[in-house]
Amino acid sequence: MPPAPARRHLLTRLGGVLALAGLAAAARAQPAARRSARSPEAEAFVAVQAQKVLSVLADRSLSLGQKQQAFRRLIDQIADVPKITNFVLGKYARSIEPTQRARFNTVFRTYAETVYQTRISEFRGETLKVTGSVARTPGDVVVASLVLGGGRDPIPVSWRVLGAGAAWKVVDVQIRGVWLAITQQQDFVSTIDNAGGDIGVLIAQLQRNSRT
Amino acid sequence: MITRRDIVETRPGADRPRAGTPLIVALGLTLSVALGGAAWTDAVEPSPAPEASPALQAAPAPLAAAAAIPPTMPTPPTAAQKDPWRGFNRGSYAFNGFLDRALVRPIARAYMKITPSPIRRGLGRVVDNLREPSTVLNSSLQGRPKQAVRAGARFVINSTVGVLGVFDVASRAGLERSRADFGQTLGRYGVDTGPYLYLPLVGPLNLRDGVGQVVDALTDPISLATGGLGSDFGAGRLGVTALDYRASADATLEAIAQEATDPYATIQSAYLQNRESVVREATGAPEVLPDFEDPPELPAPAETVALAALSEPIY
Repeated sequence: MPPAPARRHLLTRLGGVLALAGLAAAARAQPAARRSARSPEAEAFVAVQAQKVLSVLADRSLSLGQKQQAFRRLIDQIADVPKITNFVLGKYARSIEPTQRARFNTVFRTYAETVYQTRISEFRGETLKVTGSVARTPGDVVVASLVLGGGRDPIPVSWRVLGAGAAWKVVDVQIRGVWLAITQQQDFVSTIDNAGGDIGVLIAQLQRNSRT
Repeated sequence: MITRRDIVETRPGADRPRAGTPLIVALGLTLSVALGGAAWTDAVEPSPAPEASPALQAAPAPLAAAAAIPPTMPTPPTAAQKDPWRGFNRGSYAFNGFLDRALVRPIARAYMKITPSPIRRGLGRVVDNLREPSTVLNSSLQGRPKQAVRAGARFVINSTVGVLGVFDVASRAGLERSRADFGQTLGRYGVDTGPYLYLPLVGPLNLRDGVGQVVDALTDPISLATGGLGSDFGAGRLGVTALDYRASADATLEAIAQEATDPYATIQSAYLQNRESVVREATGAPEVLPDFEDPPELPAPAETVALAALSEPIY
């Protein structure tokens, strides 16, 4: 059935506006892109190490316990756990007492292993392809990759790595536009804020969540 | 994030739902969208195949040191700055959570239980396919003709060869999906996000993207061509879209409920980061990231107390 006259009129006008706007936009719009440096060393690190993580999680010959152990070892090798632990405390990293920090380090470690393993295990059976990188500074690089396979669209995953030469460590992972450590920092800081600045409340909550 | 366009479809003269409209489904699924499943899904759904983002188009390696992005970036807004209506937002979040647990989640899980996953994936691709004309519109407005043409070609190919979008034949032919909406278009031209909002029956938003969704609703070519929500097609589309989005988000929402220490803050963070990444797809601007080496200063005690007073825990 052909569109009603009023609707046809609206569509025609919409098309006209679209064409004009598109021309104007094309004329003035030069993306604010800044060509940024690439870091082949960081890309090579991610290509090798991140694939190792995916392979461990995909290994059907390993039991769940073995996978967890292997995952823990890999985390120690490729992630900067102390930096991440400090980062997720946000503004409270400066004020936390040493005894509380020791407790937090232990609890967060257990919690993070559970969370990261769950997140990354969504990609089991898939392969990783590094697609580029941006060196924010020579020692602070975001490596972009695609996780392929699993019968679904490629999933963009970025890895923020700090280091130099062949020595790099992952400090954050971005899945579908969302950084895990940044999200955790905002989650934790909000929880501590809600408790009037009491970091102990966060520690207790993390202990509960790690058990579930 | 298109489904709310249907909810706000209020063109004069549009027919109201007819007696034959499956009202119970429409009601349940409208709530599903409204409870933020759609909004959250946008934050977690598979992103379109990555465009060679200008920010990731690398310069030759020898230029590394000279071309590196300066380490000094603008300071990101604080929680209080980006969420000035936190008390209201948290109340809405609690309300939506109640409705989700009572009504929407059971419907979504029943759907997931009785529908084989290949069928769910097919329906999801149909939903995505219906978004393509809106992507054509917004990509054009953004001055991205290649994306507009590609989205148009995808729509034609998938609607025909792909059997109304059930199969994504276009991707297999090298035409990867990209997405564009009016919130992104506004961001492309420098419009700031404005304050964060969490609305009853709507979910997470910011002011810019809320306006964007109203405009998307009023200009969606498929909706204009089919009579909007007032038509049987419009109601059915709303229902399928809402169900698909809520079901897709189910695992992530469950994980947040179990793992986050403050699920409200986690959803807010993920939503805002996702929208920023969507706008960066259009602008090619480099991402502003926090410093890992140097934690921020603790705010003055008065501000800490004020923040705590505004932030009542939900769980």
